[in-house]
Amino acid sequence: MSLIGQYVFNGLMLGVIYAMVAVGFTLFFGVLDVIKFSHGDTLMVGAFAGLTASVGMMALDISSPWLRLIAVVITAVGVTGLLGALIAKFLILPLHKAPPLNTLLATLMLGTVMREAVRLFYPDGSNSQPFPSLLPSGSVELGDLSLRADNVILLLSGIAIIAGVHFLITKTRLGMAIRAVAQDGETARLMGINFEAVVLLTFAIGSAMAALAGVMNGLYYNEINFNVGLLLGVIGFAAAILGGLGNIYGAIIGGFLFAGLQVLGSATLPALIPNIPSAYKDVFAFAVVIMLMAWKPTGLIAEKSSERV
Amino acid sequence: MNSKTSLKKPATIVLFVTAIVITIYMWLFLHAESQLAVAGLIVVALIATIAGKKLGTMQHIEQAAASRPGLARIWAILGVLALTAAFYDSHFILLMMGGVLLYSTACMGLTLQFGFSGVANFAGAAFFGIGSYTAAVLATHTGLPQLVNIALSGLVAAILGSVLILPVLRTRGHYAALVTIAFGILFKTFIEVNDVLGGPQGLQVPSMEIFGYQFNEGFTLFGLDVSFYVSYVLLSLVICACAFVLLRALERSWVGLSMDVVRTDETAASTFGLHIKRWKVIAFTMGNLFAGIAGSVYGMMVGFIAPNNFTFSDSLLLLSITILGGLGNPIGLIPAALIVLILPEKFQFIQEYRVLLYAALVIAILLFRPDGLLPRKTRLFFSKGAA
Amino acid sequence: MVKANTVLKSTMLCAAIGLGLMSAPSFSKEVVKIGFVGPLTGGTSSIGLGGRNSADLAVRLRNADPKSKYTYQLVTQDDECRPNVGVQVATKLAADKSIIAGVTHFCSAVAMGTAPVFARFGLPVIVWGAVLPEITYGNDFKEVHRVNGTMINQSEVAAKFMMQQGYKKWAIIHDTTDYGKGHNKYFSEFLKKDGGQILGTFGVTADQQDFTTELTKIRELKPDVIYFGGLTPLGVRIRTQMEKLGIKAQFEGTSGIKSDAYIQGVGEKLAEGSLSFLEGAPWEKLPGGLAFTGQYRLQKYSEPPEAYGPFAYAAANLIMDAVEKVGPDRKKVRDVLNQTKNVDTLVGKVTFDERRQNIVPLVTKYVVEDGKWAIWEDSSYATGKRKLSGQ
Repeated sequence: MSLIGQYVFNGLMLGVIYAMVAVGFTLFFGVLDVIKFSHGDTLMVGAFAGLTASVGMMALDISSPWLRLIAVVITAVGVTGLLGALIAKFLILPLHKAPPLNTLLATLMLGTVMREAVRLFYPDGSNSQPFPSLLPSGSVELGDLSLRADNVILLLSGIAIIAGVHFLITKTRLGMAIRAVAQDGETARLMGINFEAVVLLTFAIGSAMAALAGVMNGLYYNEINFNVGLLLGVIGFAAAILGGLGNIYGAIIGGFLFAGLQVLGSATLPALIPNIPSAYKDVFAFAVVIMLMAWKPTGLIAEKSSERV
Repeated sequence: MNSKTSLKKPATIVLFVTAIVITIYMWLFLHAESQLAVAGLIVVALIATIAGKKLGTMQHIEQAAASRPGLARIWAILGVLALTAAFYDSHFILLMMGGVLLYSTACMGLTLQFGFSGVANFAGAAFFGIGSYTAAVLATHTGLPQLVNIALSGLVAAILGSVLILPVLRTRGHYAALVTIAFGILFKTFIEVNDVLGGPQGLQVPSMEIFGYQFNEGFTLFGLDVSFYVSYVLLSLVICACAFVLLRALERSWVGLSMDVVRTDETAASTFGLHIKRWKVIAFTMGNLFAGIAGSVYGMMVGFIAPNNFTFSDSLLLLSITILGGLGNPIGLIPAALIVLILPEKFQFIQEYRVLLYAALVIAILLFRPDGLLPRKTRLFFSKGAA
Repeated sequence: MVKANTVLKSTMLCAAIGLGLMSAPSFSKEVVKIGFVGPLTGGTSSIGLGGRNSADLAVRLRNADPKSKYTYQLVTQDDECRPNVGVQVATKLAADKSIIAGVTHFCSAVAMGTAPVFARFGLPVIVWGAVLPEITYGNDFKEVHRVNGTMINQSEVAAKFMMQQGYKKWAIIHDTTDYGKGHNKYFSEFLKKDGGQILGTFGVTADQQDFTTELTKIRELKPDVIYFGGLTPLGVRIRTQMEKLGIKAQFEGTSGIKSDAYIQGVGEKLAEGSLSFLEGAPWEKLPGGLAFTGQYRLQKYSEPPEAYGPFAYAAANLIMDAVEKVGPDRKKVRDVLNQTKNVDTLVGKVTFDERRQNIVPLVTKYVVEDGKWAIWEDSSYATGKRKLSGQ
């Protein structure tokens, strides 16, 4: 029983992280019709920014975990929000008129630039960096299952963040502006919405979410390295597409679905084929994604789009 | 030299002079050891290119090449042969040359997919790898002649590619992108966890042989010990040349025309009765055929392949070469491949920053010069000027 | 007439002196290049850099020695602990005719891939840190030698020692490269012979991030010890995630985790009590060991020599001794190295058997105590003042 419980919990944790990345992808696509492939690497930059803040605070002899946590979160969110807005202004918007694959490529390369920059310029960047454990580490025993306090906090905060962003999009004026721009940029402009400001803000919010996901990833594994962004980005992208691009609910579902596939793969494959390495779970998950795409190419919740001919 | 400014200069002489100049330059470049020499040569090249543009020499060369394409190709091949002969016993330089030729072949495949038909392929290295692994497995476990293995490797890559792309053809570009990205990662992970295919340890690839002649043993010519890489370079040259000729022929034919229309405007193309799916599949399949064949020869040349050779970053590297060279222009691929593959070897200190530099370069190109280094010319249906 | 004669004679005298001076032994000796390959970047870079610095130290000391016939130059290459990169740089080194010999590889996976390359080009090499037996025993390449021991001895000692400590049940995690698989094979063999029980074996990829699946299953199995066959980055992750899942078993590693990077990565508290094993006598106890550390510190390298630095130092010296004997010729150097018997080096007497493997009977046990790797016999654990998990 506790085995299943552990798997479920693990799946939820991964799902929350993937969902956060996927929501970012979906927001960007909805607003500007672009795939910002450097999103995963933005996550990584956020995590590193947070790590730097923590290291800085330790150097200043402030070792209270709560203060450090606050500093980490604020730095990560701030740095990546700014980064996201800058990327939007100088890379995405100018390429708006070009074929969409160009933007995909450009952001892909941008992600590579960010990854390599961190690897080369962060001290000892090519090695994994230990991420400090800043959350309380007590654990609660529920029968055979032991729930660690820090994992629970992470899970709850992840869900809270997603819920928060959802609230932002659906119930605030800013959210309405974002949805307006996503639906029809020109008309939104006619209605007096500052197109560029909304776009920049959307990118900032999406990137900030990625940073939070990165910090959560770091707190969960107690480690970050420059490569985490790539795989998380691809998974987030896959999740966003699975759920149907442009649809936030779809992105969330896609994120949990992918995590579920991974956990399912790692749990059941060894039962079917003994001694199979657990890395097959990635093969399994991606294979299922490809098959789902074959069945429903526009995602489970289909993308509603009309193209100007 | 006022003769350079007049159009009366026969195309043959222009091509001849260009070929000699480029060959000598390449010889100097490949030979250069010190950083200073390399830097100097690069500066020379830049100045020559800019001066060439200003003086109109580039235009003359292009026109000459357009009017006598056969001759231009022969000179190019002769130039490569001359370089091969000049470096007959420098193993590493020959290895690099072979690598450039094979990567260019794979990138010609990518050009076919992306530049001609607008199908994004982010798993170029994976198809390259499929070619290598297929060749390795076939060579180790079956007794088939290596030439057949090469062909089979290409076919396997092509077939896998077509199966992959079928479902997403009806949809917009980024879905195809996702499928290829997922496939690329899937391939690498699959090979890594699969012990039959060598796992993370990689596979040794048996040497190439034609009709009993083993490539991996060097041979002696006129009493000189010739490096065994020479045979591989010659083979790569043949493959690259064939791919190039094929690509050009395709571009000129109505097949290429259809692909161009499909890329430019799918809706208009379909209203004209062009079967979009069919052309995209054909382009994708052929492109992967090139990549698979190039991969199989590459595996034999290097003698060792591992899953880490075919990661997502390597696919991005192939894409960088394709874009740098000018989407749709196969000629631009060779200088682009040279820049991406050989420059870091020569400029040791940028070796570490190589990926960073190329990614940034591609971003710059996409922002400021989306047509690449040697942009593809608009299709001329009735060529003016050149006879 | 006499004047002409004098002039002629003095000119000839000057010429003779001049020629004599020119043919006197010149102050610049011929330069001989030696290659060094190791993981200079990536998760095992600390060991690679330590090895490179040690080889560099050997070359510098030799160049400062007026008796040496040649000036040596170390050509360094980074194999990133990846087989494909390793093969590329190995080809580069081996294809360069001016490089006479090489000190190669810490990562066994890479060494397996490059052995055929060195054989193809005829470059004699001495392995300084890879422990997979097949590197020397799995082929008959006369070019490949090895100065450190293999994991066979290591695994035997690892199994016996832990049985002696009273542990009975094991779970084994190993990476899926030849290195990890080798450890698994030999350790399982010896453990079964000694009577230990293996509850489960799990293979993981060398760059795997998440071990929750494996560790969850292991938690169900309730072993006394988790044996890990793999390198530092994975060791760090596994140990940390063990703690997260509340697994209380003892952590037993191999030479792959004996590095400062492991302790830094895991943190002093968690690292406390981790075990590892290393071939060879601890150099701290060797006669030349103190001199080595002294010289090493003088050069002010930014990284410590780590576990395998002394082996790289010994390998470089063996090569340079051979070059001094027969000159810069690859085939001759190879033959000299093949014949190495009872040669005194920093790591003790080196004898290459018929497979060019150094026979190293001694294996040293290490345990982490207070943030440092300590020799078991010298530690508080041996005296019983501290106890390993579960004792």
